[in-house]
Amino acid sequence: MERKKLIFCYLMVAPSLLFTVVLGILPMLASLGISFLEYDLLRVRDFGTPFVGVDNYITVLTDARFIQSVWNTLLITGLVVAIVIALGLLLAQVMDAEYRGRALIRVLICAPWFVPPVVAAAIWSWMLSTSRSPLNAALMDAGIIDSNIRFLSDTETIWGISIPLLSVTAVRIWNGLPFVVIFILAGLQSIPKSLYEAGSIDGASVWNQFRFITLPLLKPILGVLLLLLLITGIGHFEINYIMTGGGPQGQTNVMAVYAYQQAFNSFRFDYAAAASGVIFVITGIICFFYIRAQLKDGDDA
Amino acid sequence: MSVFGRLPRRPARTVASALLITSTLGLAAAPVNADEITFWSQPYGDLLEWKRGMNALADAYEEQSGTKVNYEVLNWSVAFNTWLTVAQGGAAPDCADMYWLHSFSAIGGDQYGPLPINEYKDQWPDLDKNFYSGSLQDSHYRGDFYGIPWRGDVRPLMYRTDLAQEAGLSGAPQTWDDLVTYAKAMTARDDNGNVTRWGMSPGSEIVTQAYIPYYWQAGGVFMTEDGKTATIDNDASIAALSFIRDLVWEHEVVSPEFMEKSYDPESEFLAGTLAMVGSTPGAWPGRLQRENPDLDGKWALAVPAAGSAGRDAYAGSGYFGVLRGTEKVEQCVGWIKFLSSPENMQKLSEASGNVSPRRDVMASDFWSDTDWKKVVGETLEHQHTSQHPSPAWSALINDEPGSVVYDMMYEAIIQKQDVKEVVQRAQARMQAELDRVSK
Repeated sequence: MERKKLIFCYLMVAPSLLFTVVLGILPMLASLGISFLEYDLLRVRDFGTPFVGVDNYITVLTDARFIQSVWNTLLITGLVVAIVIALGLLLAQVMDAEYRGRALIRVLICAPWFVPPVVAAAIWSWMLSTSRSPLNAALMDAGIIDSNIRFLSDTETIWGISIPLLSVTAVRIWNGLPFVVIFILAGLQSIPKSLYEAGSIDGASVWNQFRFITLPLLKPILGVLLLLLLITGIGHFEINYIMTGGGPQGQTNVMAVYAYQQAFNSFRFDYAAAASGVIFVITGIICFFYIRAQLKDGDDA
Repeated sequence: MSVFGRLPRRPARTVASALLITSTLGLAAAPVNADEITFWSQPYGDLLEWKRGMNALADAYEEQSGTKVNYEVLNWSVAFNTWLTVAQGGAAPDCADMYWLHSFSAIGGDQYGPLPINEYKDQWPDLDKNFYSGSLQDSHYRGDFYGIPWRGDVRPLMYRTDLAQEAGLSGAPQTWDDLVTYAKAMTARDDNGNVTRWGMSPGSEIVTQAYIPYYWQAGGVFMTEDGKTATIDNDASIAALSFIRDLVWEHEVVSPEFMEKSYDPESEFLAGTLAMVGSTPGAWPGRLQRENPDLDGKWALAVPAAGSAGRDAYAGSGYFGVLRGTEKVEQCVGWIKFLSSPENMQKLSEASGNVSPRRDVMASDFWSDTDWKKVVGETLEHQHTSQHPSPAWSALINDEPGSVVYDMMYEAIIQKQDVKEVVQRAQARMQAELDRVSK
């Protein structure tokens, strides 16, 4: 009976496992393999794809544009993750509370989730274009600014942070927030109400209830969420690419965009694979902690 | 009525469904039936009208030859990556509407990508007589014949005539100095001194293509005829880059954002926040006429303004060719011959709005029934092919950071670095890229 159950389980998981292997693992391994070859599309015909060891990694890791993209990736991901979790905790409470019009608020909070990132990027590109931005027009009309803000092209930086970087970060937060809110909301709803009732009886303030009941009980979920956001954030591509193409002056360029540009603009699939290899290593480290946390949770349970 | 003739109209819903399925599932593999070929083309003009017209041509060809043509649209948004994949062995049709022959041939080598069809060239005995020579360069590579050019993208200057008149200017700018005069006169500012309308954009949002004609107009060439030696460290580069830099910073008539991805000259022109485009993609005027009747009579085309060496206009071509791997070369050649007949080239030119590489089509009434079309015809006399004899060319002029020409422009124009030093660095980088292909 136990054996039949096991076979049934394997059968159930087989399709998704097959897709993961064919569409995820194999291309990833192929890409890793390419990162150790000279794979220049303009030279393949005459010179083949000789093994070059770690030369591609050395080239990429000594390229100032790639180093800048690593810094930008970490900075944008850090900002997105921190802000989105903070806002998520707040908005999840709003969604969890009971009041008139809650359904409408829930829909509004979740609305950005219905917009694919590609579409969101296109819409926000228009919203933030210097000369046609309705935001600039509104701020001008209100007398708050007397010249247009260059949301996507201002090259002034303070500690490496520029307005375009903040603009792209804001759009990524806007687009990613509903997922986080729903995730945290699910966690909130698993916390027994009796704990809050007991806290109230003991005289705990709202803040203390949040600090000593909500946060500790959400900790496992927040941990998983943090790691998932880091993994998806490190490899993020579309919003940065569509809104700015990594510009101005590389200030919003991230590792995935750099890899794309190497492959499809310069025809250097070897450098692109090496850049992807770096992304793989970073996300691999994060995944290690994620899986370890999952296993630990399983053991604890 | 469709410019393709009186042929049955299929329901728009069917076409839309087909497009949706095509874009969702990807393009289908070649059919197995010996009497069928698969043909891809990018869409031009009105999408549904174009697809309907191509299907009609395919039906007519089937009736004539017995060969069924399975026509599929390859959307521009995925076209480049698709052809790049095809050149590396990805799923390919039997024949197609293609471009960038030099790069894709070099990438595909003798395994994938475009297939030379030298043995069939004699089916077009008057090629040199009937076609503009510049367009034929785009269907030949290393002496091999790859197909028939069918569309051109010649780029004239476009400007707002109403704004020019308001500024007291008549006629079109003829020289670079005129460009400065016109752009200054048509630039508008608010009470705070903020620009509300830029006088000029050098070209389209593909900024590297925008730069190229200015370099030619200053007398420059990018490489030697064998494609092995870079030739940009010269006075022409300095003149072209300095001219555009001055337009941005000294005359303040070009937006300092014009090289950023978020800058869209076509939308700005339509919105009235841009008065002139120095090098206008061939598709814009037709689209403007079709989709913006409110601007009728308010814009005009002109032959590009003259630099010190001429009025060269950027020109590109697309061609009908055959793909390696197909077993239906003869059927494809027959289909291409059918498409390249004068009457079908006329239909294709009218439907797409693209200039035709065929001289007789450009001499037709269609290309002289409006002022702007006449100017397009005049601009053809100044066309300069954008193809260059190196497979590295498309990487060199890519319009994103990292390409030689983009970086050169950004450093010299936007960052205001020493132009001479920038050009010297670009020359070294370009030479390394050209060497990359052969050493």
